[in-house]
Amino acid sequence: MTDTLTVRRVSATPDAFIPMEALRSDGPTYSKLVDISKCIGCKGCEVACKEWNDLGVEPTVNFGSIQSHQDLSPKTWLLMRFNEVEIDGNLNWLIKKDACLHCEEPGCLYACPAPGAIVQYTNGIVDFNQEHCIGCQYCVTGCPFDIPRFDADTRKVSKCNMCIDRVESGLEPACVKTCPTNAISWGSKEDMLALADQKVETLQSRGYGNAAVYNPAGVGGTHMMYVVPHGDRLDDYNLPSDPTASPAPMTALGFLKRIGAYLLSFSVIGALVHFLAYGPERLEEE
Amino acid sequence: MVSQLLDRFTFFERIIHWIVGITFVLLLLTGLAFSHPSLFWLTTLLGGGPSARVLHPWIGAVFSIGMCFMILIWVRDMFLDEGDRRWLGAVRHYAMRETDKVPPAGKYNAGQKMFFWFQAIFAIAHLASGVPLWFPAGFDAAVLQWMRVVHYVVTLGGGALLVVHVYLGTVAYPGTARAMIDGTVTDRWARHHHPRWHEEQTRS
Repeated sequence: MTDTLTVRRVSATPDAFIPMEALRSDGPTYSKLVDISKCIGCKGCEVACKEWNDLGVEPTVNFGSIQSHQDLSPKTWLLMRFNEVEIDGNLNWLIKKDACLHCEEPGCLYACPAPGAIVQYTNGIVDFNQEHCIGCQYCVTGCPFDIPRFDADTRKVSKCNMCIDRVESGLEPACVKTCPTNAISWGSKEDMLALADQKVETLQSRGYGNAAVYNPAGVGGTHMMYVVPHGDRLDDYNLPSDPTASPAPMTALGFLKRIGAYLLSFSVIGALVHFLAYGPERLEEE
Repeated sequence: MVSQLLDRFTFFERIIHWIVGITFVLLLLTGLAFSHPSLFWLTTLLGGGPSARVLHPWIGAVFSIGMCFMILIWVRDMFLDEGDRRWLGAVRHYAMRETDKVPPAGKYNAGQKMFFWFQAIFAIAHLASGVPLWFPAGFDAAVLQWMRVVHYVVTLGGGALLVVHVYLGTVAYPGTARAMIDGTVTDRWARHHHPRWHEEQTRS
């Protein structure tokens, strides 16, 4: 089945904050579900991401970890982070699939000043449209997960687009397709939430008492959710425990912008009124 | 009768003033474009969004250097004294053209001095908040968010003052703008607006 892409929010337009009512699509809202307990660390998803999105190879170095690269980059949209943590005297890899979480309330989109540079679709995907990107990097500032990366050569920002071209053709994202253990599931948000609950229950019955779903409410939930076996160790997974799409300074800025344009207009109006009241000063020669 | 002309601003002062003035307007227009989506079209003045974003901080650098010179050459004359405080107390009469009720001003009246200090502080705040926004790598997201707030607030202040400055210097008080064009003012203008300065200039 194919889905029509229907726009939900567009950066730097009124629709950024008041999502458009869907006009055409009542198709599903998708979500990935990453079951970290099933990940074997093969990094096949990283390769699939590179291949499908034609991102090319980035040389890396041995920095004392099995992790492929040290950080995301404009050409590395997905990085499996191998966080080494000691639990009960044993080394554990608290793996995190580091890529865009496709927030329901996208902080990047809220922060973006370029109309149309960031678009959220009704299917849940938040996509960067580089054609309209002005390279200001405010999205980097607005993202609570530190995902977008700036390319100094092209002066554009990029990140995981959930393989939007595959999704609109009815296919799952490349990372999902390639995962040999089905650690990454794909489906409607409701189905994935139900599956997540099931997985958490299984993990808890097998001794992972703190197993939890990561679908943070501060960003309205995400369209890449995690099942984390050690739900009490979000910090160790590199997952912020309380991310928000509207941090205090951005809320303040939004309020100031509401009144800012008026304040500036008042100075112009004030000058006009003064001019009409008193006119130009006339100095008579003595 | 042709009025005698007095020299008010040197060539160097005028150059600095216009460097700061022109860059300020460009910065204000592009800055407003980035802050209000309905004004985003203003970026076309500098070749579209991406190039406006590239140019804005460089223009800001030129503005900041200009402001440094401006502060250096004018700060000596800008400290407020007792007469300025009385002038501020009577600013209402100045605005209402009741000049006989306004204490005589020196080279700069208290309003101009206040304008200088506010724009100097705003320029420093613009620079301090603008540099992290220019080179965001390595800064905390929360710090950058607050820098955006600071940058915007001082823009509002500076922008509103600019409107007042341009209005007073042009249509409200004819004969003022020429001080920043050919550097001179008429004897009559000086006697009326800056009596103490006029006296100093004509005493010898």
